[in-house]
Amino acid sequence: MKQIWSIAATTLGEAIRRRVLLVILLVGVVFIAIAPGLGVLSARSETTVLRSMLLGIIQMTSAVIAVVLTVYMIPNEIERRTIYTILSKPVQRWQFLLGKYFGAVLSLAVMMALMTGVLCIAYWIQQGYNAQGLQDLLKAPVMFFVQMCLLAAIGLFFSTFVSPLVNFFLSGGLYLLGSTFSLLFQDMLANPNAPGVAKMIATVVNVIVPNFAYYNIQNPIINPQVVIQDEFQNYVKIMAYGVAYIGALLVAGILIFDRREV
Amino acid sequence: MAAAIETKSLTKTYKLRNGKVNVVDKLDLYVEEGEIFGFLGPNGAGKTTTIKMLLGIIYPTSGEAKVLGKEAGDINTHRIISYLPEKPYYYEYMTGMEILKFYGSLFGINDPAKFQSLLERVNLAGDAGKPISAYSKGMQQRIGLAQSLLNDPRLLFLDEPTGGLDPIAHIEIRDLILQFREEGKTVFISSHALSDVERICDRVAIINKGVIARQGKLDELLRGGRIEVIADQVPADFPAKLKDLKVTSSYNNARLILDIDEEEDVNGVLDSLRSAKAHIVSVIPRRKKLEDLFLETVKNVSEKRTTTMSGAAQ
Ligand SMILES: Nc1ncnc2c1ncn2[C@@H]1O[C@H](COP(=O)(O)OP(=O)(O)O)[C@@H](O)[C@H]1O
Ligand SMILES: [Mg+2]
Repeated sequence: MKQIWSIAATTLGEAIRRRVLLVILLVGVVFIAIAPGLGVLSARSETTVLRSMLLGIIQMTSAVIAVVLTVYMIPNEIERRTIYTILSKPVQRWQFLLGKYFGAVLSLAVMMALMTGVLCIAYWIQQGYNAQGLQDLLKAPVMFFVQMCLLAAIGLFFSTFVSPLVNFFLSGGLYLLGSTFSLLFQDMLANPNAPGVAKMIATVVNVIVPNFAYYNIQNPIINPQVVIQDEFQNYVKIMAYGVAYIGALLVAGILIFDRREV
Repeated sequence: MAAAIETKSLTKTYKLRNGKVNVVDKLDLYVEEGEIFGFLGPNGAGKTTTIKMLLGIIYPTSGEAKVLGKEAGDINTHRIISYLPEKPYYYEYMTGMEILKFYGSLFGINDPAKFQSLLERVNLAGDAGKPISAYSKGMQQRIGLAQSLLNDPRLLFLDEPTGGLDPIAHIEIRDLILQFREEGKTVFISSHALSDVERICDRVAIINKGVIARQGKLDELLRGGRIEVIADQVPADFPAKLKDLKVTSSYNNARLILDIDEEEDVNGVLDSLRSAKAHIVSVIPRRKKLEDLFLETVKNVSEKRTTTMSGAAQ
């Protein structure tokens, strides 16, 4: 346990000093900070559009950070040979991998908290203090965080056996696929008239590709009239879905990494 | 004495584009506890690969490896051994002290006094607060040795510990290693720096192209050279009597200098010198130089290799 924590803390220490990540984060923060300024110029009715734009910036920035952070995770350790000293200590490979994963989660938490903080300040300045509004606004970043934890697990899983560049496209691709097409495939499954082959493909994709779209809850904010029944239960459900998926990915990653030559 | 390291037919095969290569080939190593063991070989001989197998970082294709009585890679053994990789890198943002804290935490060690005394031991106490990125190569190697001592290991694996260091850093590292012997630690050093090995090691194995060519006590390997005999007042007809022996001689002014192969009957030669009323000045066994042994061994293996390979091709 101690080992996992040490490795996670070290991973966080490295991440917050990685220049690439800091640049991406800075771009995100700058966009969040200046976007409301643009909003002032537009009509009052567009506030909701602005809000979803801000959330979109956070989401996109976080996704890029999650991928860039994790695709190098294992390859860098091997290339710099830092992994050898660690594995020559009483550290099991699964502990190492979990440490790396929790380090990624911690790094995402820190960076996303920073962006969300800037978002809250921007919202406050524009709308004045509004506790209910802030609370509604914060639901989205929390769900994004779960989404990014899932994306990080994908990136780390692939980083146990593919190169960073390939991994970048694999993880990024799965994220886009899972964010956009998953709902489409689910519709297809629900449609009794869909051809059998299409249904089979849809089932496979639905199982393999995590459904990132579950976590994109900014839509209800844009369309407040669409009320999800029993919101809380829905959140618990999609969180459990995320945790289960992450667990499966980590187990698979550990199995591969255990046999891997480093 | 118990075995610290024992391998039987340890083999590592890598698949390359043009077929398979046994990077380590049926290696039988034996290292006793308390020994400083030199693992010698040219670049690419398979030294690092062997060490990584002994640590369980990579897995053998076949054969066995035992470290301190347990299967290589055993996690409990890792509590009592340590490893200094070849050209190691550390998390560069960390300071010397943070490095020790981090690696210490992997053993569950959190003892500032211990970290401080290790830093002093490797002469880095004054630089403990500097980030590793500001350390010279020699300093990085010394912090590496400090981290390898955190758990007070019984067995240390040092992969080319003096590689790429300037002479002063070189001597510092060598002196630290010599202290390990006094503490009764077993040290397994891979190196191609022969002068270090000659000064530090009790026993050596010479490996080339994955095959062990020689293994034994350094004294014994270097012995078995030639014996130099010098005598005065030697009759002029004496040198001719030696023509059947493996001897090189020079005769000048009644002084005879002989360089006799150790396998020859040296005593017989001495007897006949005495009976010829010659005066024997000195009899000195000449140790082989490690460098010669190394070159000779490496060359032999290369020749053997070439012949078996051309044999296999037919
Ligand atoms: N992962 C690998 N795949 C293929 N060949 C390798 C691999 N690792 C090492 N080798 C080869 O094995 C040989 C021995 O390497 P190494 O053990 O590092 O030698 P040494 O440490 O004695 O210099 C080299 O020829 C090297 O190219
Ligand atoms: Mg090497």
